[in-house]
Amino acid sequence: MFPGATASRTDAAYVVVGAPLDISTSFRPGTRFGPERIRRFARPFDDYDRRTDLRFSDCSVHDHGDVRAWDDAPEYLAWLAGELRDVVADDAVSLVLGGEHTVTAAGVAAADPDVFVCLDAHLDLRETYDGNPYSHATVTRRVLDGDDRADGVDADVDEAIILGARTGSPEEWERAEGEDVTVVAPEEVADFDLESHLDGRSAYLSVDVDAADPGFAPGTGTPEPFGLDPRTMRDVVRTVAPHAAGFDVVEVNDRDDGQAASLAAKLTREFVFSHAGTAD
Amino acid sequence: MPKEQKQVRELQEGSYVMMDQSPCKINAYSTAKPGKHGSAKARIEGRGVFDGKKRSLSQPVDAKVWVPIIERKQGQVVSVTDNDAQIMDLETYQTFTMRIPEDEDLNPDDEIEYLDYEGQRKII
Repeated sequence: MFPGATASRTDAAYVVVGAPLDISTSFRPGTRFGPERIRRFARPFDDYDRRTDLRFSDCSVHDHGDVRAWDDAPEYLAWLAGELRDVVADDAVSLVLGGEHTVTAAGVAAADPDVFVCLDAHLDLRETYDGNPYSHATVTRRVLDGDDRADGVDADVDEAIILGARTGSPEEWERAEGEDVTVVAPEEVADFDLESHLDGRSAYLSVDVDAADPGFAPGTGTPEPFGLDPRTMRDVVRTVAPHAAGFDVVEVNDRDDGQAASLAAKLTREFVFSHAGTAD
Repeated sequence: MPKEQKQVRELQEGSYVMMDQSPCKINAYSTAKPGKHGSAKARIEGRGVFDGKKRSLSQPVDAKVWVPIIERKQGQVVSVTDNDAQIMDLETYQTFTMRIPEDEDLNPDDEIEYLDYEGQRKII
């Protein structure tokens, strides 16, 4: 159980859902261990948050456990999206713990936001990766453009804002020039006026832990240097959370001493405190 | 009760199933693989045929569920008053009053199709 997620499902305002998908990781695998590792490295944190004067265990968080993954991404995403739609139907916000970034498509489909906000080192705008439209390297493209070919997940947002992106293929940079994509380089994230850019629209926030510089979060599948520092990521989470209909943190694996999982767990809690602190 | 029992695995998108004692049309059907320690499960999401409410259930694929037998019938509009129409069934000549769906424009003598389940009716 995620520490402090003590609410019952019926009372929950937030539902933690583990999504340990690990089938398209292209360099270092291990995201199947992400959810349990994030829960474990959330243990040392204080229940009380000074900034918001809230206790995490008073924020009505429930831990649904993991939605067991198997090796067919479109099928799994359809199943996961259904589970997450149940959370939305109960007027709760899902907090998905990945798993590879592919799981985000299910979270977005369930939450149905206007804008997709993503902290990520990579653009993830490929149409396919190694011929696969449902890969961790294609998720932002799926969220933007959906997919006509499979019974996968129908996510369709108006705009994607990718914060901290610093690498991609020529095809991806070309897609990023579209009016429905905003890319903010790592060195510009801190000064980017995200609040104005959101303009009151509902958002889904996806945190790919590789947005952080690998020095802060080595335990991830495709580390990419020159990344964000944790406090900049924290500030993004604090800004987006009040507008967010759903949240995930993905791409954490077990290949470090817990730095990536610790950061993921802390950002998850930041999301809850910032969202709960502004809830009506 | 006009309903029959089926296994969850026999259901598909577009077919009907009873959820919370209400007939629902299935709009999403997905299955989860069992792994070593689970059983194959199916998720069904649907919308109430007569009340429009979203409902879902998650069951093992070999579980039994009730499938309502919803009849599709022909009727004729006898008269229209505000948002209600008086309809005559073209088979039994029984007349009854129905609420007109918001996007429909009905006039006397129009022939319509409607769904009927245990006295609950809906113009389609």
